[in-house]
Amino acid sequence: MRWLGFLGGLLIALTLHSLLDKFFPNALAFFNPYVILVVYYSMGGNLVGAITAGVLAGLVQDAFSGALFGLHAFSLTFCAYLVAYVNSRLVLRGPIAFGVSLVGSVILNEMVIFLLINLLQQQRIDLFEQELFYKTLLTSLFGIIVYQLLTLFLRAEPIEATRRPAGW
Amino acid sequence: MQVAVERRPTLFFLLVMAALFIVMSLSARTRVGVVGETRTLFERAVMTVFSFVPKTVNAAGQSTIDIYHGYIDMRRSVAENLELKRKVAELTQKSLQLQKSHGDLSRMRAILGYTEQFAIPTVMAHVVMLETEGPFKSLILDRGSDTGISVNDTVVNANGLIGRVILTTKDLAKVQLVIDPNAAVGSLLDRTRRQGVVHGDGQQGLRMEYVASLSDVAIGDLILTAGIDGIHPKGIPVGRVTKVEEGKDLFKAIWVAPNVQFNSLEEVIVLRTRKIPPEVVRYAP
Repeated sequence: MRWLGFLGGLLIALTLHSLLDKFFPNALAFFNPYVILVVYYSMGGNLVGAITAGVLAGLVQDAFSGALFGLHAFSLTFCAYLVAYVNSRLVLRGPIAFGVSLVGSVILNEMVIFLLINLLQQQRIDLFEQELFYKTLLTSLFGIIVYQLLTLFLRAEPIEATRRPAGW
Repeated sequence: MQVAVERRPTLFFLLVMAALFIVMSLSARTRVGVVGETRTLFERAVMTVFSFVPKTVNAAGQSTIDIYHGYIDMRRSVAENLELKRKVAELTQKSLQLQKSHGDLSRMRAILGYTEQFAIPTVMAHVVMLETEGPFKSLILDRGSDTGISVNDTVVNANGLIGRVILTTKDLAKVQLVIDPNAAVGSLLDRTRRQGVVHGDGQQGLRMEYVASLSDVAIGDLILTAGIDGIHPKGIPVGRVTKVEEGKDLFKAIWVAPNVQFNSLEEVIVLRTRKIPPEVVRYAP
């Protein structure tokens, strides 16, 4: 069930990606739906599940963008692991905890991408700070709205839906 | 297997990260190469599995746009019809003049010993996804290898060069835009025929390199593809010079504004160019 939920989320993220690319080209520079999905699933606290979610979401994002194949998969897996690791110990719940995790993950994700591009391609990213600011702001706002909507529909703590007693 | 993985998630994490880093490094190495197939089997597989999503979104979006435009167009059509009739008469006259000019040109070419170039097969495609911000510039087309598109085909529109195909699936194709910093195009200045290499400047512009300091370059000069890189046919407009400075070394620093408006691309033409055989690529200088 959680796998199906994740797959549905991935399809929704890719649909958003396609819609934004079609009608608002370059919007993805200021908004990242894949981070929301990965953070949401990583907050269940399952490390292996979080890693798998990060790899899958990242590879799909890589396949439909011009980035190096594996770049987003690497950064998202890194974020997913950290979020899941923290949550396996602290068991953070609620929209504030989710929002804080999301803000941290967006910043970390962009920093990892920045470092990897510098390392592998010796390429400078222009307007990095501005893009990071807007991406963090918009992605976090949208993520928290999605979280609240899920709370409304599930009538319970939505992150619990991503948890399971052991493993994936 | 699953139990072993769950017992040692940190080891699993490190292995996954190492594997992803290797995939990424291979991808980085092949992206900078201009000629040749890239190692993208896995990328192609992921794209093929999920290709229905952007295609469905594109079809639904296009239908919505078509309905809206249909209504607007209907209101405009009456006035346009009258205007078009007037233009048809005008263009018919111009067409006759052009036919005469074309005949003159063909005769001149024959006299000068030029041979007519073979027409390049083309494929019309719609842009499904477009990414012109951020460090990588690319777009995805709704046509793939089914229609004969292959890696290194040149993508253009009426204004000029857009980029080259870097990956194909059965029904989609990924294009690296010419403004991508990793793209490189063998080009020449139309006025002086001086050759150089044009590549993306990381934003929305282009830079031309390897043009000697003593060369005559002026603002407004048109830049065309030179046809020397084994990918792009000769004579496609690339852009116009906007700024020229003396470079650090023996070359000029030249800024170029692309001819194409990348933010508003909808339809493009894929030129199914003749590829250089691998054995020739292997011994290329």
